[in-house]
Amino acid sequence: MTSHPFTSEYGSGTTSSSLVDRLSQWVVEVRNTGSAGAAIVWGKSGIVVTNAHCIREDRDPEIVTRMGTRRGRLLAVAGDQDLAAIAVPGLAGPSIKIRDPNALKAGELLFAFGHPLGVHDALSMGVLHTVARHQNGKPKFVVADVRLAPGNSGGPLVDAEGRLVGINSMVVNRLGIAIPATTVARFIDRLRAARAA
Amino acid sequence: MASTTLPLSLTDLSSQLSSTVERASQYIVAIRARRRIPSSGIIWRDGLIVSASHTVRRDGSVPVTLPNGDSLDATVVARDPETDIVVLRADGLPAPAPRAQPAESSVGSLVLAVGRPGRDASASFGIVSASIDGWRAQQGRRIDGVLRLDLSVYDGFSGGPLVAASGGAIGLNNSALAGGAAAALPARVVDSIVDDLLSRGHVSRPFIGIAVHPVMLTESMAGRLNLDRADGLLVLSVAEDTPAGRAGMQVGDVLLEINGTRLTSPAELLDALQATGADESASVRLARASELKTVTVTPIDRNTGRDH
Repeated sequence: MTSHPFTSEYGSGTTSSSLVDRLSQWVVEVRNTGSAGAAIVWGKSGIVVTNAHCIREDRDPEIVTRMGTRRGRLLAVAGDQDLAAIAVPGLAGPSIKIRDPNALKAGELLFAFGHPLGVHDALSMGVLHTVARHQNGKPKFVVADVRLAPGNSGGPLVDAEGRLVGINSMVVNRLGIAIPATTVARFIDRLRAARAA
Repeated sequence: MASTTLPLSLTDLSSQLSSTVERASQYIVAIRARRRIPSSGIIWRDGLIVSASHTVRRDGSVPVTLPNGDSLDATVVARDPETDIVVLRADGLPAPAPRAQPAESSVGSLVLAVGRPGRDASASFGIVSASIDGWRAQQGRRIDGVLRLDLSVYDGFSGGPLVAASGGAIGLNNSALAGGAAAALPARVVDSIVDDLLSRGHVSRPFIGIAVHPVMLTESMAGRLNLDRADGLLVLSVAEDTPAGRAGMQVGDVLLEINGTRLTSPAELLDALQATGADESASVRLARASELKTVTVTPIDRNTGRDH
């Protein structure tokens, strides 16, 4: 039997087209700097999360979804983590599963989804290169051998099962650098706790 | 047309890739012999590591980090600057790299570059984009089967393996070989260089001591000599006390054939000398004035006695 690793309609696991279907439900576009970035609809929280460098702090950004364009309200910016949260009441997406960066293995497949160079909802594939760590051993960045371009910023990096691995934020030495999903989740949790208080 | 069955999901592929990297990482070491980040090395044979020579910036004893995190000192045995291979020896190394099957490195094969530019192994993924025959190393040596890769050879990856799906080593990655493009020397080339380095301390470079340039003989000259083709190699200089000088070659001779093989470019002469080997005699047919002559020349090993 000839085996081939790329399937689209076979077996019980994820396929790249089912991955795109899922991702396109939670990735939107954020605009307020002229150039477009990607952003993730954080479940049913009414919050959209993106990179801080994708937005301007003095202006509420526009969120472009498949349903149309809406103005969001900037909630919080964590410049040191390159994260920003935008409130878009009523906007909801599928629930997001978080992948712990400590469980990632070098060589496993990763997918970036976003709007590279203005191309909407584009998928790129690569593998985990390494997890860069702080002095104390905590994950700092997820480093991926995946081709990214401007417009991927703020968009998700996911594993083969579609779990969120990180938010793509930079390219360094041709490697994609993502903020770990656990860091993003903590940022959102703190924000929601502050709002609830 | 019957379609190929595709019995693997992305999840399966992903876990296969990461387990391939895990297997390969067991034969990859980090070599700390330059500033900045360490480079990678492959445990190639029992007690032997190969790496990219340009990343091992010193001779003698070099610190190496093993897959299990232990450190030990390896010793530089020999280098071949032309193919940028260095061989190091160390005691207490884990098992050497299994080799990939030949079919796993054909153009289009999925491959991983795995390195250890520090404590952990890291990976990049892509395909073999071309297999180049007749690639020329710096001094003109011909190497067949150099692999051009559609993947990224990141900082610290030079000297590490190109890994097949099975986890076996296809070859030695080196971003410095092909002007910064990702490339790998196939295992069989690495093996022949390592054999030379271990037995002689250097790689043999058969040499006869002439400089040549391609020329066309005039039609009348070719006619007088009864040649069906008019191209050959004009001898521009003959160094003193060399095989060519001893064989009686002269400036102005036009070399036509070596061991029966036509000579139309300097590269063909180099290839023929490499095929002949040092200390084996070769028969050279040449045109001098309006005469055809055959001389016997015995190449010497140019690298003998060189300080490596």
